[in-house]
Amino acid sequence: MDARHIRNFSIIAHIDHGKSTLADRLLEITGTVAARKFAGHSQLLDSMDLEQEKGVTIKASAVQMHWQAADGEMYELNLIDTPGHVDFAYEVSRALAACEGAVLVVDATQGIEAQTLANLYLALENDLEIIPVVNKIDLATAQVQEVSAEIAELLGVPLEEVIPVSAKEGRNVAAVLQAVVDHVPPPDDPVDAPLRAMIFDSHYDPYKGVIAYVRMRGGQVNADTRLLMMATRARCDPVEVGIFTPEMTPVPQLTAGEVGYIATGLKTVREAHVGDTITSAKEPAPEPLPGYQPAKPMVFASLYPAEADDYPNLRDALEKLQLNDAALTFEPETSQALQFGFRCGFLGLFHMVIVQERLEREYGQNLVVTAPSVAYQVELNDGRTIEIHRPADLPDPTLIKEVREPWMKVQVITPTEYIGVLMEIFRRKRADFLMTETLDPKRVQLTFDVPLAEMVIDLHDRIKSATRGYASMDYAFDSYRPDDLVKVDILVNREPVDALAIIVHRDKAYEKGSLLIRKMKEAIPRQLFEVPIQAAVGGKIIARVNVKALRKDVLAKCYGGDVTRKRKLLEKQKAGKKRMKQLGNVIIPQDAFLAMLRLDEE
Amino acid sequence: MTFALYIHVPFCLRRCTYCDFNTYAGLLSLRPAYVQALLGELTLRAAQFPAPATSVYFGGGTPSLLPAADVRRLLDAVRDRQLLADGAEITLEANPGTVDLAALRGLRQAGVNRLSFGVQSAQDAELRMLGRIHTWDEAVQAVRQARRAGFTNLSLDLIFGLPGQTLAAWQDTLNRTLDLAPAHLSLYALSVEEGTPLAASIAEGTLPAPDPDLAAAMYELAGDALHRAGFWQYEISNWARGHTAAPEIWALPPGGLSENIGPVSRHNLSYWRNTPWLGLGAGAHSWLAGRRHANVLHPRDYIRLVQAGELPEATAEAISRRLEQGETMMMGLRLAEGVGAARFQARFGVSLAAVYGATLRRWQDWGLLHWDGDRARLTARGRLLGNQVFGAFLPDDEA
Repeated sequence: MDARHIRNFSIIAHIDHGKSTLADRLLEITGTVAARKFAGHSQLLDSMDLEQEKGVTIKASAVQMHWQAADGEMYELNLIDTPGHVDFAYEVSRALAACEGAVLVVDATQGIEAQTLANLYLALENDLEIIPVVNKIDLATAQVQEVSAEIAELLGVPLEEVIPVSAKEGRNVAAVLQAVVDHVPPPDDPVDAPLRAMIFDSHYDPYKGVIAYVRMRGGQVNADTRLLMMATRARCDPVEVGIFTPEMTPVPQLTAGEVGYIATGLKTVREAHVGDTITSAKEPAPEPLPGYQPAKPMVFASLYPAEADDYPNLRDALEKLQLNDAALTFEPETSQALQFGFRCGFLGLFHMVIVQERLEREYGQNLVVTAPSVAYQVELNDGRTIEIHRPADLPDPTLIKEVREPWMKVQVITPTEYIGVLMEIFRRKRADFLMTETLDPKRVQLTFDVPLAEMVIDLHDRIKSATRGYASMDYAFDSYRPDDLVKVDILVNREPVDALAIIVHRDKAYEKGSLLIRKMKEAIPRQLFEVPIQAAVGGKIIARVNVKALRKDVLAKCYGGDVTRKRKLLEKQKAGKKRMKQLGNVIIPQDAFLAMLRLDEE
Repeated sequence: MTFALYIHVPFCLRRCTYCDFNTYAGLLSLRPAYVQALLGELTLRAAQFPAPATSVYFGGGTPSLLPAADVRRLLDAVRDRQLLADGAEITLEANPGTVDLAALRGLRQAGVNRLSFGVQSAQDAELRMLGRIHTWDEAVQAVRQARRAGFTNLSLDLIFGLPGQTLAAWQDTLNRTLDLAPAHLSLYALSVEEGTPLAASIAEGTLPAPDPDLAAAMYELAGDALHRAGFWQYEISNWARGHTAAPEIWALPPGGLSENIGPVSRHNLSYWRNTPWLGLGAGAHSWLAGRRHANVLHPRDYIRLVQAGELPEATAEAISRRLEQGETMMMGLRLAEGVGAARFQARFGVSLAAVYGATLRRWQDWGLLHWDGDRARLTARGRLLGNQVFGAFLPDDEA
């Protein structure tokens, strides 16, 4: 198809505003997918179970639709779906970079929310034409006029341009397609140019290797072209090229302006990274496309198998997950307390939760997960700067010139009555309050800078519960900032336990350290001797509690010779101990390692 | 050889609040059929006796709910088959609320020569909390009547570590109990068992949870008091009045044999020494010829099966040599006499040190176990922490 009849677009929205439902309707009315296919599988683009369950899109997809517009001509409409969570902001930005337009969906019962704005700004950064849509007009609580006016004002467009639809009922969705044809510009990528294809997503296929989802930005490609990934320098001979209909359908070639896939045959998604430029290995383009960033994990946690024997299985499972998840990093780690496991890096908390759940659900792993931490930059007196991913790795204070931690810029949109409680939550998280913007008489957007380390524990849940779910949040990395950060070591029976060390602001060291050891005390069963638990900063003990020695543990009676029952009780007790971790002579239940997750409960 | 016969009597007038044993209230009408079934099971199992019984123990439930004539029929049946050794210890557990002089005389005449009274406490409020059907005065009365009926070998059971129980109340219970001059005492720390009314009361907060440290203090208090009163502690929960004074608490019995102390429970020694026994009755357990088996729990099922001429077994388990060694340690270390290396070697053909050397050394290092001559014994501290020690002797792969 000639480029004039091609439109490449995305749908962007706050979570639960109906993005996937609208996408389903578009697929349906263009005849791309028969309506009955949706029965029992409500949202086709969300192909992973977890996505359906959490109601968010994790992997982007790209589907080619054909539709006859009002002018009587057939158009090729490529719908590029974007991940629905801020942890995947980079992937969203690459998906948007593959488009010329974006359909901005806003829930008529909710109005503009934090991610509406965040996604809109990303789209505008990529110079996309915005098609505003107000959705869920079928609901009794819909405020179509008010929300439409809000959107029109935000975009600076006439009210009539906001299209009212009900994706659920299929009302007025054709108008969305017509607006895409009318307003989204056709691609204008040069055909007579070296091959440049931008990867905006990928997945691993056991038969065809890594499937790179690409936007053709120049030249053309077919299955005979030997290819080069410009950032990773990986080379491959593709298995096939094709389009998503939505099934993978091979085509003879992909040409500038089109959207499709290249089955690379590569064995890992890290070799065909999102944002990378694919070019011809024989006649490479002089420059890659702009905007590539390697995945940068921000949040770290250690995953240990609950049973030490499962270590190889956990490694296999992580390797398999990584085939489809270029952002997940892991490296083997040994802890004297938890033995063999992996230090894993994640884009954010949500990404971490998804990985944990997939490991547990899809791979049957039984995990011990340490409390999440962040990547600290440590400038040493000798001039070197190192990055540490585990609090225990923080060098001796005498070697350190400065410790920097990642700060995030956080936007919260909230009804005005919750401003006070939100301010208090953020104050306790060491946040800097930056500004308030009034969105309408009842709602404001608050902007804060917050240390990521303070966010990773429970900020999102706290905001949601304090505002009964009415506030929405968006965040993005801001900068690394120095602060007076110290490591609090936790000593159990006078031995430091690496997995329990925390990095905190010096002013909070005593408070957090003593709270943590009190939580530990609750979790550690009494042993044959008194076990001191201490918190220390720079070798100096700042707080101590004792787990008293066990005095009595013996069965009184053996009923009528029921030796078996007695034995089973002892075996149960023994099995319980086996599930705990041995630290020198002290036995620590796994739960104790999560004590710091409960630090903010009081 | 020693061979122990246990006869289970699963009937109670009322279930105690702490009890999770195989007992039933409201089934007294089954008594005649049940006794018939016990006789039936004896017939079915007579060939399994490896030797005449050197002890018989009527346990429950409440064996004193059996008419003395039934006890006599059962003992006569054993005797008639030449399955009762001369001089056998014949114990019957009695609830002080269920006996009178005539019944006690009947039991004595039937051949019962040892009574174990479930006294539990000298505080009536505690007895009510436990759901006992008798008062302290009734217990005193029962003990006096037992003596008049000719019993000299009297054992009394007490329970400590009760919700809300004070050290002073426990001391008082001990004093009053010692005043009754029993030959033998069993002191059991209360364990709150899941599913019992007591556990429910604690869960819903109407009773305080027992304090394990306080229970430990009560145990030590009792150890002192009984030692001063001339008792030897020969097992974690059991004391016998000594022929001589014990040199110390948890002393090694003279000659390394509990029997040398005084009137110990010879029947229970069979359990602790892991020598064979046979249990008759609903839910009764047996340990015979390398095999443990247990009968069906409910008296109705039990009666039905025996009437049909079937063995009323519900479960059976072959015990490997390795497991038998572990169980021998787990049970034997409960005794002050411990586990003798010579006896272990004679029984298993390997030395104790060869099988358990490392484990024994570990617990020695912890101060919970020590060698006394050629026997491994818990220390006085170890006897409070036995569960920590016992599990280490059980093989891992047979859990």
